[in-house]
Amino acid sequence: MGFTLWNLFEASLLCLNAVCILHEERFLAKIGWSAKSPSVQGFGEQPTAKAQILNLIHSIRTVARIPLILFNIVTIVLKLILG
Amino acid sequence: MNFNANTSSRPAFGRKVKRVSHVDAMGYSPYTPSNPYNNPEFSNQQYPSEYVNTQASFDGPKDPGYGFSPQTSYPNIQQQGINVFGQPIVQDIAIQYGQQLANTGKSMVQQEIKKIVPVTKLKYYFAVDTKYVMSKLGLLFFPFTHADWSIKYEQDGPVQPRFEINAPDLYIPTMAYLTYVLVAGLVLGMQKRFSPEQIGIQASSALAWCLFELAIYSCTLYIANIQTSLKLLDLLAYSGYKFVGIIASILLSILGEKTAYYCGLGYTNLALAFFLVRSLKAQVLPETSQQSAGYYENSVPVVGNCPHQSPNEIYKCRIEQLGNFFINNTSNYSFIHYYKYVYVENLEDTFCASDSLFEIISWKWLVCTV
Repeated sequence: MGFTLWNLFEASLLCLNAVCILHEERFLAKIGWSAKSPSVQGFGEQPTAKAQILNLIHSIRTVARIPLILFNIVTIVLKLILG
Repeated sequence: MNFNANTSSRPAFGRKVKRVSHVDAMGYSPYTPSNPYNNPEFSNQQYPSEYVNTQASFDGPKDPGYGFSPQTSYPNIQQQGINVFGQPIVQDIAIQYGQQLANTGKSMVQQEIKKIVPVTKLKYYFAVDTKYVMSKLGLLFFPFTHADWSIKYEQDGPVQPRFEINAPDLYIPTMAYLTYVLVAGLVLGMQKRFSPEQIGIQASSALAWCLFELAIYSCTLYIANIQTSLKLLDLLAYSGYKFVGIIASILLSILGEKTAYYCGLGYTNLALAFFLVRSLKAQVLPETSQQSAGYYENSVPVVGNCPHQSPNEIYKCRIEQLGNFFINNTSNYSFIHYYKYVYVENLEDTFCASDSLFEIISWKWLVCTV
Protein backbone atom coordinates (compact mmCIF):
# COMPACT_ATOMS: atom_id res chain seq x y z
CA MET A 1 0.00 0.00 0.00
CA GLY A 2 2.22 2.64 -1.42
CA PHE A 3 3.75 5.50 0.36
CA THR A 4 3.79 5.73 4.13
CA LEU A 5 5.48 8.03 6.60
CA TRP A 6 8.26 5.50 7.06
CA ASN A 7 8.91 5.49 3.33
CA LEU A 8 9.03 9.26 3.35
CA PHE A 9 11.51 9.18 6.21
CA GLU A 10 13.73 6.68 4.40
CA ALA A 11 13.60 8.59 1.14
CA SER A 12 14.50 11.89 2.73
CA LEU A 13 17.25 10.23 4.72
CA LEU A 14 18.78 8.78 1.55
CA CYS A 15 18.51 12.11 -0.27
CA LEU A 16 20.17 13.98 2.57
CA ASN A 17 22.90 11.33 2.68
CA ALA A 18 23.43 11.81 -1.03
CA VAL A 19 23.86 15.53 -0.55
CA CYS A 20 26.20 15.06 2.37
CA ILE A 21 28.63 12.68 0.68
CA LEU A 22 29.32 15.07 -2.19
CA HIS A 23 33.02 15.78 -1.87
CA GLU A 24 33.92 19.42 -1.64
CA GLU A 25 37.24 19.32 -3.52
CA ARG A 26 37.00 16.20 -5.65
CA PHE A 27 33.52 16.76 -7.01
CA LEU A 28 31.95 20.11 -6.28
CA ALA A 29 35.02 22.18 -7.05
CA LYS A 30 35.49 20.48 -10.44
CA ILE A 31 32.08 21.50 -11.74
CA GLY A 32 32.33 24.92 -10.20
CA TRP A 33 29.82 24.29 -7.47
CA SER A 34 32.14 24.81 -4.58
CA ALA A 35 31.11 27.11 -1.80
CA LYS A 36 34.44 28.88 -2.18
CA SER A 37 34.00 29.62 -5.86
CA PRO A 38 33.56 33.35 -6.40
CA SER A 39 29.96 34.26 -6.94
CA VAL A 40 29.29 37.32 -9.00
CA GLN A 41 26.45 39.11 -7.37
CA GLY A 42 25.97 42.82 -7.20
CA PHE A 43 24.68 44.57 -4.16
CA GLY A 44 20.90 44.43 -3.93
CA GLU A 45 20.54 41.94 -6.76
CA GLN A 46 18.41 38.87 -6.26
CA PRO A 47 20.54 35.72 -6.05
CA THR A 48 20.15 33.37 -8.97
CA ALA A 49 18.56 29.94 -8.76
CA LYS A 50 21.95 28.26 -9.03
CA ALA A 51 23.31 30.30 -6.17
CA GLN A 52 20.28 29.37 -4.10
CA ILE A 53 20.78 25.65 -4.83
CA LEU A 54 24.45 25.90 -3.91
CA ASN A 55 23.54 27.70 -0.74
CA LEU A 56 21.00 25.00 0.09
CA ILE A 57 23.52 22.21 -0.52
CA HIS A 58 26.11 23.97 1.57
CA SER A 59 23.66 24.51 4.41
CA ILE A 60 22.58 20.88 4.36
CA ARG A 61 26.17 19.74 4.41
CA THR A 62 26.92 21.98 7.34
CA VAL A 63 23.87 21.51 9.48
CA ALA A 64 22.61 18.01 8.77
CA ARG A 65 25.83 16.06 9.04
CA ILE A 66 25.83 15.20 12.73
CA PRO A 67 22.09 14.46 13.03
CA LEU A 68 22.30 12.34 9.90
CA ILE A 69 24.86 10.07 11.53
CA LEU A 70 22.43 9.53 14.39
CA PHE A 71 19.45 8.90 12.13
CA ASN A 72 21.46 6.50 9.98
CA ILE A 73 22.50 4.50 13.02
CA VAL A 74 18.93 4.30 14.28
CA THR A 75 17.65 3.23 10.88
CA ILE A 76 20.32 0.60 10.44
CA VAL A 77 19.62 -0.86 13.86
CA LEU A 78 15.89 -0.93 13.20
CA LYS A 79 16.42 -2.58 9.84
CA LEU A 80 18.72 -5.18 11.41
CA ILE A 81 16.18 -6.00 14.08
CA LEU A 82 12.94 -5.82 12.13
CA GLY A 83 14.25 -6.92 8.78
CA MET B 1 20.20 18.15 78.73
CA ASN B 2 17.78 16.22 76.64
CA PHE B 3 16.81 19.21 74.68
CA ASN B 4 20.38 20.16 73.81
CA ALA B 5 21.34 16.67 72.92
CA ASN B 6 18.53 16.19 70.50
CA THR B 7 19.01 19.45 68.74
CA SER B 8 22.60 18.67 68.05
CA SER B 9 22.06 15.10 67.00
CA ARG B 10 19.25 15.57 64.51
CA PRO B 11 19.68 18.72 62.53
CA ALA B 12 16.17 18.68 61.11
CA PHE B 13 14.47 18.52 64.42
CA GLY B 14 17.07 20.67 65.98
CA ARG B 15 16.38 23.46 63.58
CA LYS B 16 12.68 23.30 64.19
CA VAL B 17 13.13 23.39 67.89
CA LYS B 18 15.45 26.29 67.63
CA ARG B 19 13.01 28.14 65.42
CA VAL B 20 10.32 27.77 68.01
CA SER B 21 12.49 29.20 70.68
CA HIS B 22 13.34 32.11 68.46
CA VAL B 23 9.75 32.68 67.44
CA ASP B 24 8.76 32.94 71.02
CA ALA B 25 11.65 35.14 71.82
CA MET B 26 11.88 37.64 68.95
CA GLY B 27 9.09 37.10 66.50
CA TYR B 28 8.94 34.95 63.44
CA SER B 29 11.77 34.45 61.00
CA PRO B 30 11.66 30.88 59.79
CA TYR B 31 13.94 31.05 56.81
CA THR B 32 17.02 32.48 58.35
CA PRO B 33 19.65 29.86 57.77
CA SER B 34 20.33 28.80 61.31
CA ASN B 35 23.01 26.32 62.04
CA PRO B 36 22.69 24.77 65.44
CA TYR B 37 26.34 23.82 65.43
CA ASN B 38 27.45 27.43 65.45
CA ASN B 39 25.07 28.48 68.12
CA PRO B 40 26.81 29.83 71.16
CA GLU B 41 24.36 28.04 73.41
CA PHE B 42 26.19 24.84 72.78
CA SER B 43 29.77 24.54 73.74
CA ASN B 44 32.00 22.51 71.54
CA GLN B 45 33.13 20.23 74.26
CA GLN B 46 29.61 19.28 75.11
CA TYR B 47 28.89 18.40 71.61
CA PRO B 48 30.43 15.04 70.65
CA SER B 49 29.42 13.17 73.74
CA GLU B 50 25.84 14.19 73.41
CA TYR B 51 25.89 13.31 69.81
CA VAL B 52 26.91 9.79 70.67
CA ASN B 53 24.32 9.59 73.36
CA THR B 54 21.40 10.59 71.19
CA GLN B 55 22.46 8.41 68.34
CA ALA B 56 22.17 5.56 70.73
CA SER B 57 18.87 6.82 72.05
CA PHE B 58 17.33 6.78 68.60
CA ASP B 59 18.44 3.27 68.06
CA GLY B 60 15.52 2.29 70.13
CA PRO B 61 13.95 2.22 73.51
CA LYS B 62 15.16 -1.38 74.03
CA ASP B 63 18.39 0.07 75.40
CA PRO B 64 17.51 1.27 78.88
CA GLY B 65 21.10 1.72 80.05
CA TYR B 66 21.44 5.41 79.23
CA GLY B 67 21.04 8.38 81.38
CA PHE B 68 17.85 9.64 79.86
CA SER B 69 14.86 8.03 78.31
CA PRO B 70 14.03 8.67 74.68
CA GLN B 71 10.33 8.33 75.34
CA THR B 72 10.26 11.66 77.08
CA SER B 73 12.43 13.60 74.65
CA TYR B 74 10.94 12.43 71.38
CA PRO B 75 7.29 13.49 71.74
CA ASN B 76 8.40 16.79 73.12
CA ILE B 77 10.23 17.67 69.92
CA GLN B 78 7.46 16.39 67.75
CA GLN B 79 4.95 18.54 69.49
CA GLN B 80 7.04 21.61 69.04
CA GLY B 81 7.58 20.76 65.38
CA ILE B 82 3.85 20.53 64.87
CA ASN B 83 3.44 23.83 66.61
CA VAL B 84 5.57 25.51 63.99
CA PHE B 85 3.32 24.39 61.20
CA GLY B 86 0.24 25.03 63.27
CA GLN B 87 0.91 28.73 63.31
CA PRO B 88 -1.23 30.64 60.78
CA ILE B 89 1.64 32.80 59.56
CA VAL B 90 3.69 29.78 58.76
CA GLN B 91 0.79 28.18 56.97
CA ASP B 92 0.19 31.30 54.92
CA ILE B 93 3.81 31.58 53.95
CA ALA B 94 4.00 27.92 53.11
CA ILE B 95 0.92 28.17 50.92
CA GLN B 96 2.25 31.29 49.26
CA TYR B 97 5.60 29.69 48.63
CA GLY B 98 3.98 26.60 47.19
CA GLN B 99 1.78 28.65 44.91
CA GLN B 100 4.75 30.67 43.77
CA LEU B 101 6.65 27.50 42.95
CA ALA B 102 3.69 26.06 41.09
CA ASN B 103 3.19 29.27 39.12
CA THR B 104 6.82 29.53 38.07
CA GLY B 105 6.76 25.89 37.05
CA LYS B 106 3.60 26.40 35.04
CA SER B 107 4.93 29.44 33.22
CA MET B 108 8.20 27.65 32.45
CA VAL B 109 6.32 24.71 30.96
CA GLN B 110 4.14 27.05 28.93
CA GLN B 111 7.18 28.87 27.58
CA GLU B 112 8.78 25.59 26.58
CA ILE B 113 5.62 24.51 24.80
CA LYS B 114 5.45 27.86 23.04
CA LYS B 115 9.00 27.38 21.83
CA ILE B 116 8.14 24.03 20.26
CA VAL B 117 4.58 24.63 19.06
CA PRO B 118 3.66 28.10 17.80
CA VAL B 119 0.39 28.21 19.73
CA THR B 120 -0.62 31.77 18.88
CA LYS B 121 0.05 31.20 15.20
CA LEU B 122 -2.00 28.03 15.26
CA LYS B 123 -4.82 29.84 17.03
CA TYR B 124 -5.05 32.21 14.08
CA TYR B 125 -5.57 29.30 11.70
CA PHE B 126 -8.36 27.82 13.79
CA ALA B 127 -10.29 31.06 14.29
CA VAL B 128 -13.27 29.98 12.21
CA ASP B 129 -17.04 29.92 12.60
CA THR B 130 -19.84 28.02 10.92
CA LYS B 131 -20.58 30.71 8.39
CA TYR B 132 -16.97 30.82 7.26
CA VAL B 133 -16.75 27.04 6.97
CA MET B 134 -19.92 26.81 4.91
CA SER B 135 -18.94 29.58 2.54
CA LYS B 136 -15.39 28.24 2.22
CA LEU B 137 -16.70 24.79 1.33
CA GLY B 138 -18.97 26.39 -1.23
CA LEU B 139 -15.98 28.25 -2.58
CA LEU B 140 -13.97 25.04 -2.82
CA PHE B 141 -16.70 23.31 -4.82
CA PHE B 142 -17.62 26.24 -7.02
CA PRO B 143 -14.87 28.88 -7.17
CA PHE B 144 -15.61 30.15 -10.64
CA THR B 145 -17.85 33.10 -9.80
CA HIS B 146 -15.84 34.43 -6.89
CA ALA B 147 -14.45 37.84 -7.78
CA ASP B 148 -12.24 39.24 -5.03
CA TRP B 149 -9.42 36.90 -4.01
CA SER B 150 -7.21 39.27 -2.08
CA ILE B 151 -6.68 39.00 1.65
CA LYS B 152 -7.33 42.01 3.81
CA TYR B 153 -4.67 43.09 6.23
CA GLU B 154 -4.95 44.58 9.67
CA GLN B 155 -2.31 46.59 11.47
CA ASP B 156 -0.23 43.65 12.53
CA GLY B 157 -1.17 40.91 10.09
CA PRO B 158 -3.84 39.33 7.98
CA VAL B 159 -7.44 39.29 9.15
CA GLN B 160 -8.68 36.17 10.91
CA PRO B 161 -10.35 33.58 8.68
CA ARG B 162 -13.76 34.04 10.27
CA PHE B 163 -13.89 37.60 8.94
CA GLU B 164 -12.15 36.96 5.66
CA ILE B 165 -13.16 34.13 3.39
CA ASN B 166 -9.95 34.21 1.37
CA ALA B 167 -7.68 33.67 4.34
CA PRO B 168 -6.30 30.14 4.66
CA ASP B 169 -7.41 28.18 7.71
CA LEU B 170 -6.33 24.86 9.12
CA TYR B 171 -9.70 23.77 10.48
CA ILE B 172 -11.12 22.53 7.18
CA PRO B 173 -7.93 20.64 6.18
CA THR B 174 -7.68 18.93 9.56
CA MET B 175 -11.28 17.84 9.61
CA ALA B 176 -11.15 16.84 5.95
CA TYR B 177 -8.05 14.75 6.60
CA LEU B 178 -9.70 12.87 9.45
CA THR B 179 -12.90 12.42 7.47
CA TYR B 180 -10.92 11.18 4.49
CA VAL B 181 -9.30 8.46 6.58
CA LEU B 182 -12.68 7.34 7.92
CA VAL B 183 -14.40 7.45 4.54
CA ALA B 184 -11.59 5.48 2.95
CA GLY B 185 -12.03 2.87 5.67
CA LEU B 186 -15.76 2.81 5.00
CA VAL B 187 -15.31 2.26 1.27
CA LEU B 188 -12.69 -0.42 1.85
CA GLY B 189 -15.15 -2.11 4.18
CA MET B 190 -17.85 -2.01 1.55
CA GLN B 191 -15.44 -3.70 -0.83
CA LYS B 192 -14.65 -6.37 1.80
CA ARG B 193 -11.03 -5.28 1.86
CA PHE B 194 -11.01 -3.66 5.30
CA SER B 195 -8.67 -4.59 8.10
CA PRO B 196 -7.88 -2.44 11.15
CA GLU B 197 -4.36 -1.64 10.07
CA GLN B 198 -5.74 -0.19 6.85
CA ILE B 199 -6.83 2.89 8.81
CA GLY B 200 -3.28 3.49 9.99
CA ILE B 201 -1.84 2.90 6.54
CA GLN B 202 -4.28 5.32 4.95
CA ALA B 203 -3.61 8.00 7.55
CA SER B 204 0.12 7.62 7.30
CA SER B 205 0.04 7.65 3.52
CA ALA B 206 -2.09 10.77 3.30
CA LEU B 207 0.07 12.58 5.83
CA ALA B 208 3.24 11.52 4.03
CA TRP B 209 1.98 12.87 0.73
CA CYS B 210 1.09 16.16 2.43
CA LEU B 211 4.55 16.48 3.95
CA PHE B 212 6.17 15.57 0.64
CA GLU B 213 4.13 18.28 -1.07
CA LEU B 214 5.09 20.74 1.62
CA ALA B 215 8.79 19.94 1.19
CA ILE B 216 8.55 20.42 -2.57
CA TYR B 217 6.72 23.72 -2.17
CA SER B 218 9.18 25.15 0.31
CA CYS B 219 12.18 23.96 -1.73
CA THR B 220 10.74 25.58 -4.84
CA LEU B 221 9.99 28.80 -3.01
CA TYR B 222 13.55 28.88 -1.70
CA ILE B 223 15.33 27.97 -4.92
CA ALA B 224 13.31 30.25 -7.16
CA ASN B 225 13.72 32.92 -4.49
CA ILE B 226 10.09 33.97 -4.65
CA GLN B 227 9.26 36.79 -2.31
CA THR B 228 5.93 35.86 -0.81
CA SER B 229 3.92 36.37 2.31
CA LEU B 230 3.07 32.64 2.42
CA LYS B 231 4.20 30.89 5.54
CA LEU B 232 4.69 27.18 6.03
CA LEU B 233 1.31 26.80 7.72
CA ASP B 234 -0.37 28.61 4.83
CA LEU B 235 1.16 26.09 2.46
CA LEU B 236 -0.01 23.27 4.68
CA ALA B 237 -3.53 24.71 4.63
CA TYR B 238 -3.57 25.04 0.86
CA SER B 239 -2.25 21.52 0.40
CA GLY B 240 -4.88 20.21 2.82
CA TYR B 241 -7.87 21.62 0.94
CA LYS B 242 -7.61 18.80 -1.58
CA PHE B 243 -9.07 16.33 0.93
CA VAL B 244 -12.45 18.02 0.58
CA GLY B 245 -12.59 17.14 -3.11
CA ILE B 246 -11.30 13.63 -2.48
CA ILE B 247 -14.01 13.00 0.11
CA ALA B 248 -16.69 14.24 -2.30
CA SER B 249 -15.53 11.96 -5.10
CA ILE B 250 -15.24 8.94 -2.81
CA LEU B 251 -18.80 9.53 -1.61
CA LEU B 252 -19.92 9.80 -5.22
CA SER B 253 -18.26 6.44 -5.89
CA ILE B 254 -20.52 4.92 -3.21
CA LEU B 255 -23.60 6.25 -4.95
CA GLY B 256 -22.60 5.50 -8.51
CA GLU B 257 -19.92 3.26 -9.90
CA LYS B 258 -16.56 4.12 -11.36
CA THR B 259 -17.92 6.63 -13.82
CA ALA B 260 -19.41 8.75 -11.03
CA TYR B 261 -16.11 8.56 -9.17
CA TYR B 262 -14.06 9.74 -12.11
CA CYS B 263 -16.54 12.46 -13.02
CA GLY B 264 -16.48 13.72 -9.44
CA LEU B 265 -12.70 13.52 -9.31
CA GLY B 266 -12.36 15.46 -12.54
CA TYR B 267 -14.71 18.21 -11.46
CA THR B 268 -13.25 18.64 -7.98
CA ASN B 269 -9.76 18.69 -9.46
CA LEU B 270 -10.77 21.44 -11.81
CA ALA B 271 -12.42 23.43 -9.06
CA LEU B 272 -9.44 22.96 -6.73
CA ALA B 273 -6.99 23.99 -9.43
CA PHE B 274 -9.00 27.13 -10.14
CA PHE B 275 -9.24 27.90 -6.44
CA LEU B 276 -5.54 27.40 -5.83
CA VAL B 277 -4.41 29.37 -8.85
CA ARG B 278 -6.57 32.33 -7.98
CA SER B 279 -5.81 32.45 -4.27
CA LEU B 280 -2.09 31.80 -4.68
CA LYS B 281 -1.89 34.39 -7.43
CA ALA B 282 -3.25 36.90 -4.98
CA GLN B 283 -0.64 35.84 -2.42
CA VAL B 284 2.48 35.13 -4.46
CA LEU B 285 2.12 38.08 -6.81
CA PRO B 286 0.55 40.79 -4.68
CA GLU B 287 -0.47 43.33 -7.28
CA THR B 288 -0.92 46.27 -4.96
CA SER B 289 2.47 46.05 -3.34
CA GLN B 290 4.18 45.51 -6.68
CA GLN B 291 2.46 48.51 -8.17
CA SER B 292 3.28 50.69 -5.24
CA ALA B 293 6.88 49.54 -5.21
CA GLY B 294 7.28 50.26 -8.89
CA TYR B 295 5.65 53.62 -8.53
CA TYR B 296 7.64 54.78 -5.59
CA GLU B 297 10.96 53.52 -6.77
CA ASN B 298 10.76 56.12 -9.51
CA SER B 299 9.83 59.07 -7.39
CA VAL B 300 11.43 58.43 -4.05
CA PRO B 301 14.94 57.62 -2.94
CA VAL B 302 14.89 54.12 -1.54
CA VAL B 303 17.48 53.52 1.14
CA GLY B 304 17.78 49.86 1.92
CA ASN B 305 15.26 47.12 1.31
CA CYS B 306 11.70 46.71 2.47
CA PRO B 307 11.31 43.22 3.91
CA HIS B 308 7.59 43.54 4.54
CA GLN B 309 4.93 42.18 2.31
CA SER B 310 1.63 43.82 3.09
CA PRO B 311 1.10 47.13 1.33
CA ASN B 312 0.50 48.96 4.55
CA GLU B 313 3.84 47.91 5.92
CA ILE B 314 5.61 48.77 2.70
CA TYR B 315 4.21 52.28 2.84
CA LYS B 316 5.23 52.65 6.43
CA CYS B 317 8.68 51.31 5.76
CA ARG B 318 9.19 53.59 2.79
CA ILE B 319 8.07 56.64 4.71
CA GLU B 320 10.42 55.86 7.54
CA GLN B 321 13.29 55.31 5.15
CA LEU B 322 12.48 58.57 3.47
CA GLY B 323 12.48 60.37 6.77
CA ASN B 324 15.84 58.86 7.66
CA PHE B 325 17.16 59.88 4.29
CA PHE B 326 16.10 63.47 4.89
CA ILE B 327 17.59 63.52 8.30
CA ASN B 328 20.86 62.23 7.03
CA ASN B 329 21.06 64.38 3.95
CA THR B 330 19.66 67.77 4.70
CA SER B 331 20.46 70.49 7.09
CA ASN B 332 16.88 71.42 7.80
CA TYR B 333 16.66 68.83 10.52
CA SER B 334 13.71 69.89 12.64
CA PHE B 335 11.45 70.56 9.67
CA ILE B 336 12.02 67.12 8.21
CA HIS B 337 11.83 65.42 11.57
CA TYR B 338 8.47 66.96 12.17
CA TYR B 339 7.12 65.86 8.83
CA LYS B 340 8.40 62.36 9.16
CA TYR B 341 6.50 61.69 12.33
CA VAL B 342 3.38 63.54 11.31
CA TYR B 343 3.16 61.49 8.16
CA VAL B 344 3.77 58.22 9.86
CA GLU B 345 1.08 58.98 12.37
CA ASN B 346 -1.36 60.08 9.72
CA LEU B 347 -0.74 56.86 7.90
CA GLU B 348 -2.32 54.87 10.67
CA ASP B 349 -5.82 56.14 9.95
CA THR B 350 -5.71 57.58 6.45
CA PHE B 351 -4.18 54.91 4.38
CA CYS B 352 -5.35 56.25 1.03
CA ALA B 353 -4.01 59.69 1.71
CA SER B 354 -0.46 58.43 1.88
CA ASP B 355 -0.20 58.61 -1.91
CA SER B 356 -0.53 62.34 -1.90
CA LEU B 357 1.62 62.56 1.21
CA PHE B 358 4.32 60.78 -0.66
CA GLU B 359 4.16 63.27 -3.46
CA ILE B 360 4.41 66.08 -1.01
CA ILE B 361 7.42 64.49 0.59
CA SER B 362 9.13 63.93 -2.73
CA TRP B 363 8.45 67.49 -3.70
CA LYS B 364 9.89 68.78 -0.44
CA TRP B 365 12.89 66.59 -0.96
CA LEU B 366 13.47 68.05 -4.40
CA VAL B 367 13.22 71.56 -3.00
CA CYS B 368 15.66 70.74 -0.24
CA THR B 369 18.23 69.25 -2.53
CA VAL B 370 17.99 72.10 -5.00
